Amino acid sequence: MTAPPTAPADAALTPWTYLARHRGRILVGCALLLLTNALFLGIPVTMGLAVAALGGADPAGEVPPLAGLMILFALGTAITRIGSRILIFNAARAAEYELRGDLFAHLLTLEPAYYRAHPTGDVMSRLTSDVQTVRALWGAGVLNIVNTGFAFATVLVMMLRIDPWLTLWSILPFPTIFILGQIMGKRIYRASQGVQQHLGTLSNNIQEDLTGIQIIKSYGVEADRRARFVAQSEQLLGQNMMLARVRGQLGPALAAVGSLAAVIILFVGGRRVVAGEIELGHLVEFNGYLARLAWPVLALGWMLSLLERGRASWHRLETLLRTRPAIADGAGPALDPDATRGEVRVEHLSIAFDGRAVLDDVSVTMAPGTVTAIVGRTGAGKSTLVDCLARLIDVPAGTVFLDGRDVTTLPLDSLRGAIGYAPQEAFLFSTTIADNVALGFGQAVAGQAVPRVTDAATAAGLARDLAQMPDGYATVVGERGITLSGGQRQRVALARALASAPRVLILDDSLSSVDAETERVILERLREVMRGRTAILISHRVAAVKGADQIVVLDAGRVVEVGTHDALLARGGVYAELYRTQLEDGDAVAAEAAS
Amino acid sequence: MTTVNAPAQEAVLGKAYDLRLMRQLWRYVRPHARLLAVWGVLLPLTLAFELAQPYLLKIAIEDHIAVGDASGLGLIAIAYVALVVAQAASAFGEQWVLQLLGQRSMHGLRLAIYDHVLRQRAAFFDRMPVGRLLTRMTNDIESLNEMFAQGVVTLVADLVKMIAIVVIMLTLDVTLTLLTFLTLPLLWLLVTWARGAMRSSFREIRVRIAAMNAFVQEHLSGIRVVQLFRRQTAAAREYDAINAAHRDAYLDSIKADAAMYALVEAIGVIAIAAIAWWTARGLGAGADTAAHLALVIVFIEYINKFFIPVRDLSAKYTVMQGAMAASERIMQLLESDEPDAPPAAASDAAAGAPGAATAPAPQPAAPAIAFEQVEFAYGRGEPVLRGVSLEVPRGATVAVVGATGSGKSTLIKLLTRLYERDAGVIRVGGVDVRALPVAELRRRVTVVSQDVFLFRGTIADNIRLGLDLDRAALEDAVRRVGADRLLARRGATLDTEIAERGGNFSAGERQLLAFARALARDPEILVLDEATAHVDPEAEELIERGVAELMRGRTTLVIAHRLSTIRNADLILVMARGQVIERGTHDELVAAGGAYAQLERTFRRHE
Ligand SMILES: Nc1ncnc2c1ncn2[C@@H]1O[C@H](COP(=O)(O)OP(=O)(O)OP(=O)(O)O)[C@@H](O)[C@H]1O
Ligand SMILES: Nc1ncnc2c1ncn2[C@@H]1O[C@H](COP(=O)(O)OP(=O)(O)OP(=O)(O)O)[C@@H](O)[C@H]1O
Ligand SMILES: [Mg+2]
Ligand SMILES: [Mg+2]
Repeated sequence: MTAPPTAPADAALTPWTYLARHRGRILVGCALLLLTNALFLGIPVTMGLAVAALGGADPAGEVPPLAGLMILFALGTAITRIGSRILIFNAARAAEYELRGDLFAHLLTLEPAYYRAHPTGDVMSRLTSDVQTVRALWGAGVLNIVNTGFAFATVLVMMLRIDPWLTLWSILPFPTIFILGQIMGKRIYRASQGVQQHLGTLSNNIQEDLTGIQIIKSYGVEADRRARFVAQSEQLLGQNMMLARVRGQLGPALAAVGSLAAVIILFVGGRRVVAGEIELGHLVEFNGYLARLAWPVLALGWMLSLLERGRASWHRLETLLRTRPAIADGAGPALDPDATRGEVRVEHLSIAFDGRAVLDDVSVTMAPGTVTAIVGRTGAGKSTLVDCLARLIDVPAGTVFLDGRDVTTLPLDSLRGAIGYAPQEAFLFSTTIADNVALGFGQAVAGQAVPRVTDAATAAGLARDLAQMPDGYATVVGERGITLSGGQRQRVALARALASAPRVLILDDSLSSVDAETERVILERLREVMRGRTAILISHRVAAVKGADQIVVLDAGRVVEVGTHDALLARGGVYAELYRTQLEDGDAVAAEAAS
Repeated sequence: MTTVNAPAQEAVLGKAYDLRLMRQLWRYVRPHARLLAVWGVLLPLTLAFELAQPYLLKIAIEDHIAVGDASGLGLIAIAYVALVVAQAASAFGEQWVLQLLGQRSMHGLRLAIYDHVLRQRAAFFDRMPVGRLLTRMTNDIESLNEMFAQGVVTLVADLVKMIAIVVIMLTLDVTLTLLTFLTLPLLWLLVTWARGAMRSSFREIRVRIAAMNAFVQEHLSGIRVVQLFRRQTAAAREYDAINAAHRDAYLDSIKADAAMYALVEAIGVIAIAAIAWWTARGLGAGADTAAHLALVIVFIEYINKFFIPVRDLSAKYTVMQGAMAASERIMQLLESDEPDAPPAAASDAAAGAPGAATAPAPQPAAPAIAFEQVEFAYGRGEPVLRGVSLEVPRGATVAVVGATGSGKSTLIKLLTRLYERDAGVIRVGGVDVRALPVAELRRRVTVVSQDVFLFRGTIADNIRLGLDLDRAALEDAVRRVGADRLLARRGATLDTEIAERGGNFSAGERQLLAFARALARDPEILVLDEATAHVDPEAEELIERGVAELMRGRTTLVIAHRLSTIRNADLILVMARGQVIERGTHDELVAAGGAYAQLERTFRRHE
């Protein structure tokens, strides 16, 4: 099954929604379970008959068929039991699989901002631990509801046959079970939620320590991080013990309720026997049935705890499933990929984070086939601006246009398909270099150096590095690309963006970790590649931006200057000031050119 | 069995070594043996309270109800209630102690894994998906903990009970007992089959869970790339394959669990039927029917008693197999040891490293950093450093330039022993780095690396990072790199929270914070690996001034791609393909007309 791109978010989303999809299997399983219980009752009956026959006139004749019958009942019970368990448990597993698939597919639709507020480790913990807890509710829960219900019913019938009044007396304590369930249930729910929460925090902490291992080692902060870990693991331990305490109370408390019934029978029934109202034998038999209730009562407690824990975990999953992606497909038609010109227009765009304007009334137009450079101080809002173009950050309607179409009306796929973006932080997947590049055009190439990959890699100046690697394009990189040098990683990300052959190419500081010579070579090649496309270059190096058709200078979120390199130099504003140090070397260029 | 093609797929383990596993697990339980003892006391106590109840009942019936004396019933009822309460209390205590034992042991094990993993060298993490390690420390531990939660430890008690029953049965009637246990081979077959099926199933499950976690962790950390390149559907499909494999891995264990539970019950009944049939056959006319009958009834009773724990055992058995599969994974991780920067081994004596672990006396005249004919390759790959020799004099600023991928960052990783050189000697202050305790080495050499990593927490936490720095020191460090202006512009203070990996700061801001973090350590030797790559020129100049001021008279090693940074260095080293090809001052190198001169021309033509 391929998971649907968006999970169902209908109002009727309950823990049972997923299981209900397998109601066929569940129902047959439950029917088999009832059959199991019924057949199981046959065993003691035939056993009793066999014992009676042993004392009868013709044991050698009567017992063997009864013994055979007994075995038949036993085998029947076994077969139906196996069938029911397999059906129910597999249905629960199938539901678990679907739930997890939906969750993951849903997670991929949530915008990057979501993950700033919800750390990865915690989300992962939901996808494993919480899903498992919910599944336990489905499998074992259903199985036991049926089993317990049946057990209660049969025992009740037996008891009623003996003495209705005594039955009434003996079930007197059972309503307390519901009160107990109410109180304990709430406590289990709370404790369980605490456990899952702490598990999430802990798992997030571990996740962070493992990804930051280099800094931990080189700054020698092992002790500090360890102390944090120990504290969190201890907190988890505490939460788990809180849960264990409630659960530990529930079992014995329920057992005690069952035993109280025995006391009542003893006291009330005993008096009635003495009074000659019932026979002693009946009382003993009655007591025997009561004893058979012990197990279902315990199972009830166990189920309650399954239920509450499942609910607590479900709640965490439900909040996740119900989180609507803040950035969703626009309602309008998709762009025709072949006819897209790549004209980008930003009009009066303002973006605020935590109430602070990061982009303030920005307006820029980028004509198709031109190169626009964006420069500005650290934190000026350059990356934010280009993120807005690809809608990694949501923009208000009527502020950003691609080919005259408001980007908020475009399907995301269409918008992002038109854009090739090399983000400032190069992120690679732990697969081959070729596959990382091929991601740009959405194909799995299994390490093959197909022409589209090699072209992009060559344009990104990777060819020489790859030639030196024994496995070349099939080199598998570590997570995030950690087994490559900084410049190599950056250029693979660059190649990936180039490989998508986009109408709009965005390079966010994509050559910052590359040496000057390589940078020069790449920039020269890029001029070729960018011909006919709309290119947006962000850089702190004058060398990279000075050839641009227009340079947009951002300062504190505002566009303060727009123009060509020469025009901006002549103007002597922020650009000239900011790049003074680099321009001093540029004087030499001017001198050289003049001579 | 489906195989999902992931590059670093974990192999599903082969043979089981349960006893060895148990012994290893015991190491983590033993520190809490006192709890085990308390539990050992509470368990029979609970049992006693429970068993006393039917006894009271018997007294009530025989001494009171049967003889028509209702007067003592009240007292007995009270006693009964007391017993019930006592049993509940004792059962609670028993449960609680068992849980505490389990939780504490698992906490200990979790810590042991954490310590072990953090002790591994950097190369270990190059290959190991974060999600997999995370699985070992969370999901696998949880699975192991199930063993305690479900009271698998009571297994021993069950076994004892079963043995006792067998003994009693033997004393009653040897033939019938033997007849009963004719079914044992059946049981044995069943258990052996179930065990095999479950174990391989659970082993695969552990692998799949780890694979799922690794996949999720990678795709969520790269969510921007996933979305930018419209990978959602493809990623969901790939995940689906692992997810489905995980679901299917359960098939066998579900089957085995169901079969075992159901068939154990049936086998018990078969034994009873056999006895009834045998007895009936032996009952000729005129035999002592009453005695036989009594015997059969007693036997039925015992067989039932015998098979109840067997059935319970089978339920626990599943949990145990799951736990064993998890602990196999954990133990495998704990056993594979690639320690980070181990103390110099005896074999290194040739390199002149003193064997003693104590810090050798620093040599004041020696250069701050010296590489002598250092060679290195990552794993089995191409050599990355080929006989690098260099010296960084005390108090000097030395710059390293070179093409991307030429091995500059690798130099630094070797210097701080994140990776271990293959040949040659690296000295800090005249002492072989392998002879220095790592903690001291890494304290003396402070690196600002190419990849900035910030932890979740406040800015202050991140700059402090394990040190005991006061507010003034933090502010000083921030000011020194010019980050104070920047933070003010951003409306951030030292107490501003940083999101995962610094996601709510711009790349340049993150770099400045990393810089501040390094300077706050008041470093003896500062190593900068393109530490200002994402920073604007104005901020860069501020940093340079700040660093120059702080590092006056101290040693700085700079890797940079920008001329402005390099030009003023006391010494410039040019690297190419893992070798130092030129060295000298800016003017000397330009005059020499070699690779650097060419580079410099590029800069000039370029800027
Ligand atoms: N999620 C966020 N929450 C709050 N502030 C944010 C968030 N993301 C970015 N900022 C702030 O917005 C400002 C602009 O960030 P942006 O990444 O666009 O800067 P930039 O111009 O790309 O800088 P650099 O040159 O360092 O890459 C910065 O001050 C940054 O701290
Ligand atoms: N962890 C690793 N495992 C395997 N190979 C690696 C690893 N780290 C780096 N390499 C390889 O070693 C070579 C040198 O890498 P290094 O990071 O030292 O280069 P660099 O000079 O710092 O380059 P840059 O200027 O791009 O940062 C590169 O070819 C790189 O692919
Ligand atoms: Mg940026
Ligand atoms: Mg490097």
